[in-house]
Amino acid sequence: MASTTLTFCSSFTATGRLPQKQNLSTTLSLSKTNLNFLSPTTPSLSSHRLTFSPKPAFSSLPKFSESEAPVLESEPESTDSEPAQLVETATPVPKREEIFAVVMIGSRQYIVFPGRFIYTQRLKGANVNDKIILSKVLLIGTKTSTYIGKPVVPNAAVHAVVEEQGLNPKVVVFKYKKRKNYRRNIGHRQPNTRIRITGITGYEDSPAVTLDS
Amino acid sequence: MNKDKIFKLAKGFRGRAKNCIRIARERVEKALQYSYRDRRNKKRDMRSLWIERINAGTRLHGVNYGNFMHGLMKENIQLNRKVLSELSMHEPYSFKALVDTSRNAFPGNKKAVLPPKKEDLSIVL
Repeated sequence: MASTTLTFCSSFTATGRLPQKQNLSTTLSLSKTNLNFLSPTTPSLSSHRLTFSPKPAFSSLPKFSESEAPVLESEPESTDSEPAQLVETATPVPKREEIFAVVMIGSRQYIVFPGRFIYTQRLKGANVNDKIILSKVLLIGTKTSTYIGKPVVPNAAVHAVVEEQGLNPKVVVFKYKKRKNYRRNIGHRQPNTRIRITGITGYEDSPAVTLDS
Repeated sequence: MNKDKIFKLAKGFRGRAKNCIRIARERVEKALQYSYRDRRNKKRDMRSLWIERINAGTRLHGVNYGNFMHGLMKENIQLNRKVLSELSMHEPYSFKALVDTSRNAFPGNKKAVLPPKKEDLSIVL
């Protein structure tokens, strides 16, 4: 199994895909082989699915549950020690802190991971490359504990950067009443903002529910 | 010009509806009406799907959906059903913490409502 991944990795680096993805994904070569078969099927999926680290080799969903993480750590690292020597020339990606938060923006709630982006309603008055602090944090989860907010986790903040202010894909609003000669054909593009999450802070002092294991 | 737009929207339709303009126009109009209606239905369907998933997730811990939500409302936890269903699928430990919080606030289930026990084939064979 390890030898097959070795040959796969060498052909993979030869295709030159590595420089494109190196700042998005981890150096785990198993995750890169995953990218190879995921990308033709889901090209339009937002990049947060591809940037998750560490990525399990056997499931395509970015599962992030504390029960799986200890099991996963042994498997990818044992098979990765050999391919990692081939991939050494790639720039070392900083280890993402394993934490998530539930944040409320524009009366909608999102589950947020550092390093990924989300699309939200258009934030008026936010320009590109603005640093934003989201204060309505409803829940924070780390590997060992969960901080449940009632309703908000006190002093917690999610830092984000505004990347782009664009429009959603067009939706055709077609209204028609039969036999009454009434039809209206309208196109609609809702404005949105793409923000990239950079970090989650400020939760250390709140009451937490910790894992016993 | 308009015909091309109709045919582009009629891709994947059955029979003459993707090739002949008179039939395609009718079918495309119907498709657009359905999409208008279903953009509203999708919100209802998704909410019931989330509720099913939360129900399944809490019953693994012996609590049913009604008592779970009542406990969350008592504790003033304002997570919505979409996020709760995602947590029940992907973050089991966080979800268990939520279920425990809700059970402390409202211990409604005296008898634990576990999913029905599945018997395997060894009984029949």
